Amino acid sequence: MIIGLIGIIALVATNALFLIWMERKVSAHMQLRLGPMEVGPHGAVQTVADALKLMGKELITPEEVDRPVYLLAPIVIFLPVLLVFLVIPFSRSLIIKDMNVGIILILAFSTLAVLALLMAGWSSNNKYATFGAIRSVAQNVAYEIPLLITVMSVILMVGSFKLSDIVAAQGSYWFILVQPLAFILFITCATAETNRNPFDLPEAESELVAGFHTEYTGMRFAMFFLAEYTNMFITSAVAAVLFLGGWQGPILPGVVWFLLKVYALIFLMMWFRWTFPRVRFDQLITLAWKVLIPLAFANLLITALVLKLR
Amino acid sequence: MIELGIEEKTYTLNLGPQHPSTHGVLRVVLEMDGEYITKAEPVIGYGHRGHEHMAENRNYQQFLPNMGRVDYLHALAYNQGYCMAVEKLLGLTVPERGEFIRVILSELNRISSHLVWIGAYLLDLGAFTPILYAFDDRENLLDLLDRITGSRLTYCFYRFGGVPRDLDEEFITGTRAFIKRLRSRFRDYESLVTKNVIFINRTRGVGLITRDQAVRYGLTGPTLRGSGIAYDIRKSEPYSAYPAFDFQIPIGDKGDVFDRYLVRILEMEQSLRIIEQALNQLPNGPIMADKVPKRLKPAAGEVYQAVESARGEFGCYIVSQGDLKPYRIKLRVPSFGNLSILPEVAVDTLVADLVAILGSVDVVIPEIDR
Amino acid sequence: MLKDKLKTALASLNLAQVSDGDYAKTGYHLEVTAGPGQMPAVAQAMLDQGCFLESLTAVDLRESFTLVYHFASFDELCRTVVHASLTKEAKGAQAPTISQVYPGADWYEREVYDLFGIKFAGHPNLKRLLLPEDADFHPLLKDFGAEPGND
Repeated sequence: MIIGLIGIIALVATNALFLIWMERKVSAHMQLRLGPMEVGPHGAVQTVADALKLMGKELITPEEVDRPVYLLAPIVIFLPVLLVFLVIPFSRSLIIKDMNVGIILILAFSTLAVLALLMAGWSSNNKYATFGAIRSVAQNVAYEIPLLITVMSVILMVGSFKLSDIVAAQGSYWFILVQPLAFILFITCATAETNRNPFDLPEAESELVAGFHTEYTGMRFAMFFLAEYTNMFITSAVAAVLFLGGWQGPILPGVVWFLLKVYALIFLMMWFRWTFPRVRFDQLITLAWKVLIPLAFANLLITALVLKLR
Repeated sequence: MIELGIEEKTYTLNLGPQHPSTHGVLRVVLEMDGEYITKAEPVIGYGHRGHEHMAENRNYQQFLPNMGRVDYLHALAYNQGYCMAVEKLLGLTVPERGEFIRVILSELNRISSHLVWIGAYLLDLGAFTPILYAFDDRENLLDLLDRITGSRLTYCFYRFGGVPRDLDEEFITGTRAFIKRLRSRFRDYESLVTKNVIFINRTRGVGLITRDQAVRYGLTGPTLRGSGIAYDIRKSEPYSAYPAFDFQIPIGDKGDVFDRYLVRILEMEQSLRIIEQALNQLPNGPIMADKVPKRLKPAAGEVYQAVESARGEFGCYIVSQGDLKPYRIKLRVPSFGNLSILPEVAVDTLVADLVAILGSVDVVIPEIDR
Repeated sequence: MLKDKLKTALASLNLAQVSDGDYAKTGYHLEVTAGPGQMPAVAQAMLDQGCFLESLTAVDLRESFTLVYHFASFDELCRTVVHASLTKEAKGAQAPTISQVYPGADWYEREVYDLFGIKFAGHPNLKRLLLPEDADFHPLLKDFGAEPGND
């Protein structure tokens, strides 16, 4: 267990390092430029340099903030993320704790992130931050629902909440082939849950300066950043488990396949970010409540019908 | 600080003066009811440098460089307006080749201004990539203009009576290549932006401007043409070499933000047409009027010269009393009138819409503040 | 012809001068001289003919001011300039506003007030526009800048 926890922390750190570099390179090449090239081969060590810089920055706490809440918010956003790693199956044997309620645990803890955003925005005592926090709460709550319903469709097919069971059930074919709509819905909701473009209103730079983390500097800002990338990893991991057969694949070891699938989905999310403009807030909420939830319900219904009739 | 009164439901939010999406130093004081705006008041003047006062204390040639700094994105139009106004007072005629060169450079400048606008506008809306594509195209263009005028941004190239330097072969071949390249790039813009569902949803039906509002506020430029009024100085009050060219004035039909965006995209294509025709029909001859006096003492009187800049009608009003220095110069800038419509259009919109509307009006604050 | 329609419309207002302009020399098709008090009526007449306010400014002629209004039309080329002479008074020159006819004039009149000190009676919001609110000078007056360092 302890080894597992240490392993998780190491994984999270390396993952974040790698993802930040990947994001910069992907965005650069999509924008006809090169990205970081100086520090290390093709800028590979750039993130380390940035992290060192961030650690050296002065931690400014504005005077009028709600101190306990302000200081707790970066921690609260990070903890659930770490806990979720306990149940993710990296390969047949690489699960720290294969719980019976695996998927429920993941969904429950992901929701805690919203609390952290609200804490950050409210305690900052700043109009822009509050705006960002309010928007993010509305957005996350709205997109949780189709996410849950979509996951339910898959669970119905498997009949168990255990993540290893879900992976095992995809032995002959991956669920994406029978549940394409669910996959699309899941990716959309996941992009919204992690506050990525085109759903990145809570951090909308051109409208709200920096949204809910306007007043955070240095290492505290880095925590929010890290949490976002780790969140991306987790939602992609869940998607890989639910739809892409987890660690299954020929020839290469399970871990490698798993990581490949996760990073492919992360690349997809990055691709979205650098292609689309931002969705307006009311359009965002309308999309969730009027389009995604009915579609998710319809999908659930059809799944249930098909299973019953089989 | 948020002030939430129990009786009042509105609070005040300040957008700017330093803000990523106000293009320049603009402050908009918003009164908001939740996310909806009940009142929007632009506060300008942060960049007031006193150009009109400077005009009264310099002679005509010394004031010419100022024109490039008023609107740095379409500086050549301002050069042109001012030079033409003074030429009217002096009774100078610019030779044909000089006029053609002025038109070519001015249209290239117009394209560069619109490219900046597209990039910056889409950045406001949250799309991070188009700005780099637009600036990539623009680099090409700026290199061409740099060859001839010597500057990349704040041009001071036209002189009273013509232009000081002629085009060379490399410029002409470079421009032809650029035209071809930009035309193929338009396809990218079309598929990535114009047909993008998210972009259309953000811009369709937002920020409607009616014809009546346009007349009452004196709007000009693409902001006006998006509402279906075909008023473009190049066609309505032709000047310089424009009568020789065949081009169209794109107009919108609904007057919303999307129409204003589309008008600018189509205008770039029309500018390319003008440049092509100008290069094909470029006459030989002198580029500068002969017998331009070294000490310019225009006749007493007043003159108003209008030209079409990327943002609308730039009017140069000069009052001369026969001295070396102008008595009064008024720069009628298009963004001034175009921005003044914001309080009326922004009522009952979301902040995100305000950003979209403000961007679609295409203001350059230094020209408003002068 | 818009010019003739404008001439007819303006003839009934009893203005000092309504005459053709020399377009090639000055850029005007119609030159009008009016009194400042007649401006709201002139503006209404121009709006009724579909003209828009192109520009509104002032010129300091040392002994008096001249308010200069430029009108043009979207549909037909016809630029009209209206000169209105304003006497300088001890307590500051005053003229009626035309912003109830042309809301676009709102900012132009604020700018004239800011740079010249001419007040516009009936203006909804006559505050300074370009200079800071607490400035106490009007920079485009001809006697501004007489002190060293003010240029």
